[in-house]
Amino acid sequence: MPRLGRAFLVFKKDWREISRNWQIMAPIFTVPLVFAIVIPAVMVFIPNITSGSNAIDNLQGLENFLGPLSEEIRGMTGRQVMVYVMTLYFFAPLFLIIPIMASSVIASDSFAGEKERKTIEALLTTPLSDSELILGKIAVSFVPAMVTTVIAFALYSAVVDVLALPLFGRLLLPNFSWLLLIFGLAPTVSLAAIGLTIAISARVKGFREAQQISGLLLLPVLALVFGQISGAIIFGPLVLAGMIAVFALVDAAAFYLGLRSFRREEILIRSA
Amino acid sequence: MSGTGRVYMQQATSGNRAPGMPVIAADGLTKVFGKLTAVDRLSFEVMEGEVFGLLGPNGAGKTTVIRMLASLILPTEGRATVGGHDVRKEGEKVRQAIGVLTENPSLYERLTAYENLEFYAEAYGMTGDAKRGRIRHLLESFDLWQRRDSRVATFSKGMKQKLAIARAMVHSPSILLLDEPTTGLDPESAKEIKDMIGDLSRQGGTILLSTHRLGDAEKLCSRAMIIAKGRCIVIGSPEELGDMASPPVLRIGLRGPPGKIAEAARQVPGVRGVAADGSALLVTSEGRDLEELAPEVVKGVVLAGGAVSSVSISRPTLEEAYLKLMGGRIGDA
Repeated sequence: MPRLGRAFLVFKKDWREISRNWQIMAPIFTVPLVFAIVIPAVMVFIPNITSGSNAIDNLQGLENFLGPLSEEIRGMTGRQVMVYVMTLYFFAPLFLIIPIMASSVIASDSFAGEKERKTIEALLTTPLSDSELILGKIAVSFVPAMVTTVIAFALYSAVVDVLALPLFGRLLLPNFSWLLLIFGLAPTVSLAAIGLTIAISARVKGFREAQQISGLLLLPVLALVFGQISGAIIFGPLVLAGMIAVFALVDAAAFYLGLRSFRREEILIRSA
Repeated sequence: MSGTGRVYMQQATSGNRAPGMPVIAADGLTKVFGKLTAVDRLSFEVMEGEVFGLLGPNGAGKTTVIRMLASLILPTEGRATVGGHDVRKEGEKVRQAIGVLTENPSLYERLTAYENLEFYAEAYGMTGDAKRGRIRHLLESFDLWQRRDSRVATFSKGMKQKLAIARAMVHSPSILLLDEPTTGLDPESAKEIKDMIGDLSRQGGTILLSTHRLGDAEKLCSRAMIIAKGRCIVIGSPEELGDMASPPVLRIGLRGPPGKIAEAARQVPGVRGVAADGSALLVTSEGRDLEELAPEVVKGVVLAGGAVSSVSISRPTLEEAYLKLMGGRIGDA
């Protein structure tokens, strides 16, 4: 069994290193800022997108998407529909980019970066066990990613509600679906990204290589976006619960593969 | 730092070895990577307080031996114990007992010198005042205390190497595995490191020193093993290795030509051969220690009328012995 105190040492050491690396911190700060503030603010402050007949025009072609939401949007004006579906549904899958990006960037640096900088051998000479090392490194990838995601969600909710309050007379966020998204789906997606990055990092020599390959994780997110636009899926509670279950299984598989690949000998030989 | 004996080892522990047992023991140690046999049936022992050299050209298998002894990679065949712990079955205990200087300094460049040592001290289970005191002691010993809050990225190569050695010693291990500790250092930094290794040895530390700097090995090691292509070529003290390469020679300087005096030297029991070299005689021994034989030969020379101006015994340096013993293997290794 890993000793949590020793895993925390790895977490603390890695966080000190990562927090002083602007190449890591810059995307972790800027991407959430764009998703949480810039994009919704554009909707708020550029009325053409969400007001008047233009809003209705913009909804043309999204009949498949709006169909399943007909009950929810019944009686809403064009602008209300536009703001409602964009903020509560359209952005939901895009928001998953934040935990995926943050956790895979940190995990790439923590696993592949340590090999690239040739600091891994001295780390492996310590009596820290494989499970303590890997737990510490998973934690340092997961915790900042989730903190970033939750802060981004809080900012996003604030921006959306600034828009929604005068338009709807009530707050739109947080709602049950988004809480499920942020506190259920985002952690499982983040862990899947970390598990995959660990498995990739064991096979590549450098941080950039690991990061580029783990960028493939964004493809399922894009699939979700297009799936929703086409009306194939809607980010409601049931769909989210199903996705959480699926990603929990993906997590288990990714960690099984990641842990199997985290062997001192393999790491040393491949980093030579 | 000076060579005057700074205290690096706070206490030496013998692990779970029986008294008199070697600190490091390898028996038929073998490592195969795919089709490459990196280490081939090495057997050797290192006793407590000994500085044991692992010599060989690049690619000879020195780093692989150190990695196996540190339980970082498992032997394909054979066995080894370090501090009484089996490297196959007791990896964590082995790593707790040893300090390892890896081939690269392996330091976290965005952390400060203090933070680097603090992480490793805590990884070895050190806490509180004991941890802080040990870190301060090491940083002061290595003249790095004033730079404790500087990021390692700003350090020179010599400072990084000193910090890396301090890291290997942070938990006061009684066994140190040092992989090329002076490589890439300027002469002054290299001398500091060598002085420190000498101090460590005098304080009872057991050191396995991997190097291809033969001058360092000659100065520091009580015994050394020369390996090539993963195989042991020879083990012995630097003097023994020199003698194996070519016998020592007694040189007797004379005030005048040797002439018939050489014949008098040849008559001394135990003398194998006598040759003239200008106004000097070069004497080799047949099975007797040359230090023992020298007074008798000098007496014979004097009695024969020789005027002796100097007497010395010359042995091949470890470097000369190494080159001779390795023969054509260096280029192949």
